[in-house]
Amino acid sequence: MEETSAVRRLDRLGVVLVAGGIAATALMPFIYVKANRIAAGKPMLLTQLLPQPSVIFLTVLLILTALATLFLRNALARLVIATLCLAALVVAIGLVSTAATPPGSTVARMTPGGGFWVLFAVIGLVISDALVKIRLAPWMRVAALAGYTALLFISLSSGLLDSLSIMKEFSTRAPQFETEAISHLLLAFGSLAIAIILGLPLGILCFWVPKLRAIVLQGLSLIQTIPSLALFGLLMLPLGYLATHVALASAIGIRGIGTAPALIALVLYSLLPIVANTVVGLQGVDPSVRDAAAGMGLTRRQILTGIDMPLAFPVILTGIRIVLVQAIGMVTIAALIGGGGFGIFIFQGLGQTAMDLVLLGAVPTVFFAFSSAVILDAVIDSIRGSAA
Amino acid sequence: MLKKLALAVSLSAFAAGASHAADVVVSSKIDTEGTLLGNVIALALEANGIKTQDRIALGATPVVRKAITAGEIDIYPEYTGNAGFFFNKADDAAWKNIDQGYELAKKLDYDANKIVWLTPSPANNTWALAVRSDVAEPNKLKSLTDFGKWVAGGGAAKLAASAEFVNSAGALPAFQTTYGFQLKPDQMVVLSGGDTAATIKAAADQTNGVNTAMVYGTDGAIEAAELTVLEDDKNVQQVYAPTPIIREEVLKANPKIEEVLSPIFKSLTADELRKLNAKIQVDGEPAKSVAEAYLKEKGFLK
Repeated sequence: MEETSAVRRLDRLGVVLVAGGIAATALMPFIYVKANRIAAGKPMLLTQLLPQPSVIFLTVLLILTALATLFLRNALARLVIATLCLAALVVAIGLVSTAATPPGSTVARMTPGGGFWVLFAVIGLVISDALVKIRLAPWMRVAALAGYTALLFISLSSGLLDSLSIMKEFSTRAPQFETEAISHLLLAFGSLAIAIILGLPLGILCFWVPKLRAIVLQGLSLIQTIPSLALFGLLMLPLGYLATHVALASAIGIRGIGTAPALIALVLYSLLPIVANTVVGLQGVDPSVRDAAAGMGLTRRQILTGIDMPLAFPVILTGIRIVLVQAIGMVTIAALIGGGGFGIFIFQGLGQTAMDLVLLGAVPTVFFAFSSAVILDAVIDSIRGSAA
Repeated sequence: MLKKLALAVSLSAFAAGASHAADVVVSSKIDTEGTLLGNVIALALEANGIKTQDRIALGATPVVRKAITAGEIDIYPEYTGNAGFFFNKADDAAWKNIDQGYELAKKLDYDANKIVWLTPSPANNTWALAVRSDVAEPNKLKSLTDFGKWVAGGGAAKLAASAEFVNSAGALPAFQTTYGFQLKPDQMVVLSGGDTAATIKAAADQTNGVNTAMVYGTDGAIEAAELTVLEDDKNVQQVYAPTPIIREEVLKANPKIEEVLSPIFKSLTADELRKLNAKIQVDGEPAKSVAEAYLKEKGFLK
């Protein structure tokens, strides 16, 4: 009895996370000190940086977090310690890079190494595990996201991280970053909006007409199998033809390159999850509810808007969540056909073997995808919660 | 109907502000040199009172090419040797000579698409081989003739190159025949993409023992990676001279463009381009400010 409870006292996920964190700290470089943007860089382990005060502070907090993850049952206490540890990690990488940059050098680059990223992920998982255990209400989860985002922006705008390679890439491209961010989000949300406008009625139609359902769903599945770059390329020719031969088409902004083919391809990819989830959601509505409504004299339209749609809504919203996360990621490829977005940085970075520039495109993309997933999950849960 | 309207409205919202017919739409490929030269063109035109629209770093070659033939962009920098591929005449001997290649490209593109090739740069951004300097110096490798003799005599070369470079008849096979050497399969690391950034990095980091890299003549990373470019002393390769190309219609509306760009492109030698590309790729400066600094330094911009 005694032994089993002792074993049980060790959180299993915690053991895995702590082991991963220790291995990453011992084996993977915390930071690469590079003479310039494309040089190989000198790897530095966290242990090699120990004399620096910020690193000592970080080490203490890392040990505390590890102990808390293994032995502390109170999720709130773990959350507080891990959050402090995350802040210490960010402060440490900022101060270490400033210390490692030769004075006056504009070409030297300090790139976070695998050790940093694994620690970042491990602490992030400890935090999200604690948040799950606390069982936050949906809106509290959004508030937590907003809180951590605010922390991120404070550390970014304070200048603490300015010596970091990705921030150097940002500082030379700040105005462009803003325009690419806007066009990235416009493309993602714009394609989502169009996909909802087209997909919802199509889904309802598919639910009513089973014969149509098979054709539409198979057709949309087929589109999903076309590699995205190929689809962008395929659209270029007919749209280019339209733009040069139909005055109306070019007047409303249809071009063979740029936003139009990107938007259309994204909408095509987005239709399947929305149509499929609309059908599944409507199928999930208990027929007896519908019969009762019909018996009470409700018309088909009243049943759809008053009964079917509200009950199917959480499932449809799950489809929308899939689409939004998928679209935010996929917009990056639009850069190859002149659609703009964060993909510009990713592909220019790949072309120059400048991984810091690739990160400048990839990190915000991941951030936006993650945030929208958290927010939509919270919305779905709150609707489910209030329905139940 | 409503759906169509919604689609039209959102599409036109995206295109808003993108249709001033009189502006010259300046574009370029997405690579380092393309972005640099695109910015050079845009800055020079703006400085001379010609309004431009920025579509720089639009995409890969086929995208940019389709865009100009469809009239969606007006001007972008292209390489003379590429015209051989656009018009299925890659085997023509003219491409190996800078003047003949330029004249042929100019004629073909004008006849087919009414696209005018303006004054080219004297640089040649063609395929070349570069060897690690710590290998080149002790073995006295300066030209491909030296390299051919060294490899034929058992020199331990190991090449990183794209599949295209290894397989297309005009590239590595032509080098091997002309300079009399043969790389064994275990002396090559073939990367499927055609990316010199990756091959240079492989040679610089000695990944898998690589000491020789496929490069382009004006690659910015060559010097920072401590590589030595071997001279193509028997002119095996086609010449790829960067040239601004423009739709005739737009040139007629803005005839000044030719005289504005001609002295600038004449000044862009291979050495200058290598230096400017390095500022972007190695030092991480944005292409626009590198272009601006160059134009100011040479007195093209006040």
